[in-house]
Amino acid sequence: MLISLNWIKEYINLDDISTEEIVDKLTYCGLEVDEVIDKGKDLKDFVVGFVKECGKHPNADKLSKCVVFDGEKDWSVVCGANNVAKGQKIIFAPTGTYIPGADFTLKKTNIRGEVSEGMICSEKELLLGNDHNGIMVLDEALIEGTPIAVALNVDDVQLEIAITPDRADALSHYGIARELAALFDRDVKKPVVKLSESDQDIKDLASVEVENVEDCPRYSAKVVTDVTIQESPEWLKKTLNSIGLRPINNVVDVTNFVLHELGQPLHAFDLDRLSGKKIIVKSAGEDQKFTTLDSKIQNVKAEDLFICDGDKPVALAGVMGGENSEVIDSTTNILIESAYFRPSRIRRTAKLVGISSDASYRFERGCNPAQTVFAAERAAQLIAELGGGKIAKGTIDVYPNKIEPLIVELRYERIEKILGYNVPLDSVILILNKLDLKVLKEDFGVLTVSVPPLRPDIEREIDLIEEVARIYGYDKIPEVTRVNVTLEKKTDQSEFVANAKKTLIGMGFNEIITNSLMTDEVAGKFGKSIPVLNPSSTSMSHLRTSLIPGALSTIAKNINVRENNLMLFEVGKTFNKISEGKIEDFSDFVEKEELTLVITGNNTNAEWYEKERKNDVYDLKGFVDEFLNKMSLDYMLQDSKNVKDSSIYSVCYSKIFKKEEYAVGGKINYKILKSFDIGQDVFVFTLNITELKKLRRKTVKFNELLKYPKMVRDAAFILDKNILNSDIELVIRKACSKLLKNIKLFDIFESDSLGEGKKSMAYQLEFYDESRTLTEEEVDSDFWKAIESVKSKFSAQLRGH
Amino acid sequence: MQDKIQQITEGFEAEISAVKDLKMLEELRLQYLSKKGLVSVLLEEFKQLPVDQKKELGQVVNKMKNQIQDRFNSVKTELEESGSVTDEFIDLSLPGRKKNIGTKHILTQTLDEIKDIFRVLGFSVQEGPELESDYYNFEALNFAPDHPARDMQDTFFVNEKFVLRTHTSPVQIRLMEEKKPPIRAIMPGKVYRNEAVSAKSYCLFHQVEGLYIDTDVTFAELKGMLISFVKQFFGEDTPYRFRKSFFPFTEPSAEMDIWWQPSGKEGRWMEILGCGMVDPNVLKNVGIDPEIYSGYAFGMGVERTAMRKYGIDDIRVFFDNDKRFLVQF
Repeated sequence: MLISLNWIKEYINLDDISTEEIVDKLTYCGLEVDEVIDKGKDLKDFVVGFVKECGKHPNADKLSKCVVFDGEKDWSVVCGANNVAKGQKIIFAPTGTYIPGADFTLKKTNIRGEVSEGMICSEKELLLGNDHNGIMVLDEALIEGTPIAVALNVDDVQLEIAITPDRADALSHYGIARELAALFDRDVKKPVVKLSESDQDIKDLASVEVENVEDCPRYSAKVVTDVTIQESPEWLKKTLNSIGLRPINNVVDVTNFVLHELGQPLHAFDLDRLSGKKIIVKSAGEDQKFTTLDSKIQNVKAEDLFICDGDKPVALAGVMGGENSEVIDSTTNILIESAYFRPSRIRRTAKLVGISSDASYRFERGCNPAQTVFAAERAAQLIAELGGGKIAKGTIDVYPNKIEPLIVELRYERIEKILGYNVPLDSVILILNKLDLKVLKEDFGVLTVSVPPLRPDIEREIDLIEEVARIYGYDKIPEVTRVNVTLEKKTDQSEFVANAKKTLIGMGFNEIITNSLMTDEVAGKFGKSIPVLNPSSTSMSHLRTSLIPGALSTIAKNINVRENNLMLFEVGKTFNKISEGKIEDFSDFVEKEELTLVITGNNTNAEWYEKERKNDVYDLKGFVDEFLNKMSLDYMLQDSKNVKDSSIYSVCYSKIFKKEEYAVGGKINYKILKSFDIGQDVFVFTLNITELKKLRRKTVKFNELLKYPKMVRDAAFILDKNILNSDIELVIRKACSKLLKNIKLFDIFESDSLGEGKKSMAYQLEFYDESRTLTEEEVDSDFWKAIESVKSKFSAQLRGH
Repeated sequence: MQDKIQQITEGFEAEISAVKDLKMLEELRLQYLSKKGLVSVLLEEFKQLPVDQKKELGQVVNKMKNQIQDRFNSVKTELEESGSVTDEFIDLSLPGRKKNIGTKHILTQTLDEIKDIFRVLGFSVQEGPELESDYYNFEALNFAPDHPARDMQDTFFVNEKFVLRTHTSPVQIRLMEEKKPPIRAIMPGKVYRNEAVSAKSYCLFHQVEGLYIDTDVTFAELKGMLISFVKQFFGEDTPYRFRKSFFPFTEPSAEMDIWWQPSGKEGRWMEILGCGMVDPNVLKNVGIDPEIYSGYAFGMGVERTAMRKYGIDDIRVFFDNDKRFLVQF
């Protein structure tokens, strides 16, 4: 909200207080000042100048050579504008002035042989307007040397204040003045309304009926007759300009003025356009269309509140007036509406039609029901003054159930209990009274406080404690130097993932964090996606069903900047629907924490000590197994071939335990890669962290270190190419006793010498016993059994024997 | 034989004087002291001699053997202790064989740093869902259904009952429902805001919230805790201020700013966190008696904090995952 300090000063004397102090105090107490715009300061070097002489520049047709008098001395100025002339009063900037509209500081220059010691300015150069068609010519009556900010009446400071949603009372100049009065302990002056009313009774001119009292607890109205719609006087236009409002005509300007003065939204109806000279406040009753005064057709629901005349709706209550009753140039008789509407009603309607007007903004936060009559009178007085109208006698005020001040009790000892420091009792009482929160009595440490309806945010003891704290000052809260630490059992739910990340980083992976929102198409390809009701763009319309698309996009982007060799991982949530229907409950979707690791490009680059080698599926397997081992998860998970995910992978396998899949991955297929514009192999593995967490061995047991020697035997077989390593290992294991502890495949090769369709596989078998040293004979016995078994099962030959 | 002995002794002495490193010494050992070395061969020959000659030469042979062995040992010790440099050509200007260690995302690093500070201060770490019900995200946190406070956070809705959580505060509610006070925990995680993506805002960011509920928790203690955090995280001399704000779930509420002084630019106050005393309505919603217990809560954005700390001026860079960015941290 934009606030003019000059306007504020109409209600409070702030002469001896600097802008900085005001900004600080407001900010500390909860009215945060985001920006200070000090026109006077920005324009401090500009003055009114008088063009004493003006002639053609001897060496340039389009330039003029002038002499400008600034009240003290003459300056030579070369000017490029074609509207400069002798005898004008102009804006003059001497050498050294910073020109805000052009962002430079003036220097003495020589323009085509003529010295120029200053500049005659346009309004754009001072950021006063957009006009740069020549210089700005000023009123002749102005005196040379007068600062421009004063001459043009822009000597004001504007404050951009962020008002939190609880502070409806601060949404006006008078409201801010009231706050400043409490902060600086001084008085606030309410505008004085002196009405000279005509003999004509308002009851003979108009009537108001409120059918829906719940949504409209109070409706006040004044009538002004014989008004001339015309331009507002300078002071009013300037006042509205000072907070960035565009003046329209005297009636509209007055309603805007009072809204920003008192915070009470008003609406002016053309009384003669109200059928039956009647106002009826009632719910729409049925869904219908209504044209607001911005000429837009709104779809209104049955429960929305209308202001109607004798036969039709004329305004969408609290949100915007209708086109059919707005004040037009020919209007003469005016009904001023000053009402209090139920905040939640206005908010729902404003949301529905998508309008946030100055009025609805205030009504939905809660206006002050106690000041409707005062605001209507204030507006009537101003309209009569500015439009030459007559104020009808009396006020219509439909207010069947008066909203009384709320009585709230404040236990003094609770202040220290909550805040942790002492605020003296007399300070508490002083602060509350200054805020119009009247302390009615103080009994045995209990303060009885009367909260006026202008503060709907204060309902409870704790709300009063906050008021005390903020005015007393958050900066006065003592800095404690020790705190309590409770000793209950501590847990860290992020520990598993933290360890997983550490492990992967040790293995050389870079962590990425990608967007959880993606397109419908991509999300659908990887799972049963959940759409967002109000996406900000189609590229982010669905929740991610998998971490893979994010990883693939990241790879594509990196390849674009020639980062082709990547080892990446992400830990994050994925979201998948369970059933096709609507999400009614947490059981209708799965939110899973997953870890996806991807490798692409080279595993090793060409270096002086090694050759370039591309990543392949065995690199992926190695990373996955090493990771699971370090995470103490390897002992139960088994590899299992997987064909079901062929829409994503060209090679795919899973990690399973008791037939449940805990992780899956492989080589991404060509189609998917193409859709991400990736032209190199990508290997991916995704682990279900949510489930793996449950599977993880809680404590790892120590294994006694082996006290007896290990014995090893090597054997190489020539066998058919398509025989699986796992089958061979199984046969070896079956053939041997339990003395065989480990089997290691240490060589595979194919060559013509082995015969077509053959390969050689070399194994090292490791034997030991925890309780004794083995004999050569028993090891050899196992070893030869294994060899014979492999030979017969796979028609294999033993090499080198 | 005598001549032979002398020959070996002299030959050994000449060679060992020329020894420069352990490798040469090892060659010498093989030549003289190994099983088939000159000394061993001589000893074999000695064994074949008649008894009288053995008697005569016994001492000389022994002396020679011991002398050579001693001399060898002393040179060996000398060389080992001197760490003698080899003559082998080694180009130390070659790059070493690369060992690749990865990187944690800078947001994770920042989050870890924040977590570490609060864990030392006795906070547990608690997590919760990102696709959250309206009840946990708003209603239980004292956001009335039609209150303008709901506009403070631009929300992504899945439907009228489910939203992408706009803060990690729903985890506070879940925790308080689950556990009786004392409760002392932080809640890190992703949150979502329906804002246009720009240098300053992204559709999601990371937050860390904290909650402490017990019988004597005060606003002054909250301020003290957060000052301690700011000093630990941003540096001992960081100027800060604590000012009133509004959140539906805390009363009184505050925001904390730190003074931000980018080099070469004008300094200004920058908000880093919101906080306050847990609103009695929130405590009632989870069945905790606000007459007995009080508590504080606070929350901060991780991206913003990291941007402050590392001088990053575009939030989108965190989610681009350009390797050239990732490996910087």
